[in-house]
Amino acid sequence: MKECERVKKLLSRYLDEEITGIDAAFVKQHLDICNICNKEYLEFLKVKQLMLKKERKSLPEDYLISLLKEKITSRQYAEENISWLTGLSNLSRRLIPIPIAAIVLSVVFLIVVSGQKITAYSLDEHILSGSQTTTGMALGVILGTQN
Amino acid sequence: MNEDIFSIERFIAGDAEGFEILVRKYQNRTLNIVYSLIGQDRENEDIVQEVFLKVYHSLGSFRQNCQFSTWLYRITVNTTYDFLRKRKNLVNDEIAIEKSISSNDGPVEVLVKKEKKTMLEKALANIPLEYRTALVLKDIEGFDYKQIAEILCCRIGTVASKISRARQFLRGELLRLEEYLK
Repeated sequence: MKECERVKKLLSRYLDEEITGIDAAFVKQHLDICNICNKEYLEFLKVKQLMLKKERKSLPEDYLISLLKEKITSRQYAEENISWLTGLSNLSRRLIPIPIAAIVLSVVFLIVVSGQKITAYSLDEHILSGSQTTTGMALGVILGTQN
Repeated sequence: MNEDIFSIERFIAGDAEGFEILVRKYQNRTLNIVYSLIGQDRENEDIVQEVFLKVYHSLGSFRQNCQFSTWLYRITVNTTYDFLRKRKNLVNDEIAIEKSISSNDGPVEVLVKKEKKTMLEKALANIPLEYRTALVLKDIEGFDYKQIAEILCCRIGTVASKISRARQFLRGELLRLEEYLK
């Protein structure tokens, strides 16, 4: 019985000629004397022969190639479109902060400037007074609104 | 094998003909693996297309540490598995068999159903997929155990065990179907 178990483990390999030497000789010898294992072997053989007869499909020679060409071209086109859109989206993402930053800075500047008192006295008087120079004053000097 | 490498090099160099040679050479074997694994299905050709599209996009990075055919069949098996996983409305093959046999068929239809080809397909569909794959690669495609182990990324012992289990299943299924049709 131990021999039968060993043969059952090797039977499929024996059928496929994937064992040689001592193992193959052992299986062959056992199949000659054991009807149960031999029956199993013949059934395996029948299954294998049936598989070999299985219907095979085939495609016309250039049928698949023409389908693949279509798909490859359409995928490349789609990828190009995607990359173009992605590029545009990246560019817009990079450009959007610039006007936003400009608006924010302008608002801050206007708030600061409007909060400062601009007096109409000369720069010389201001320097002589020893007062602190405000942003408004400096801007006035630069723009020439103050003298 | 050298022809394949030559075709791959042609393709990498920018000659599309290299890829077309590979498609012509392997399209039918690829189709038959898919067909044997999932049976007659209108999507067989779509899967084969998908396989060759994957090959097209990754052929440039193909490392020649295994044969091109081994690499191709590995992609074929994996793509088929992905298809089966994604197919939500997968009809249970066993239920389909029961339905097809137990309906009120006349003697002619029963005789037709006794046709070995159909029976084999039905029986194959009932074998667990991992066993079926190993058996298909062995008995239908004629690979040896070493090649199957490379395709399925497993040990030769595992391949032997899967093939043996598949044959036991198949033998049981065929006997069951024969009994059912008697």
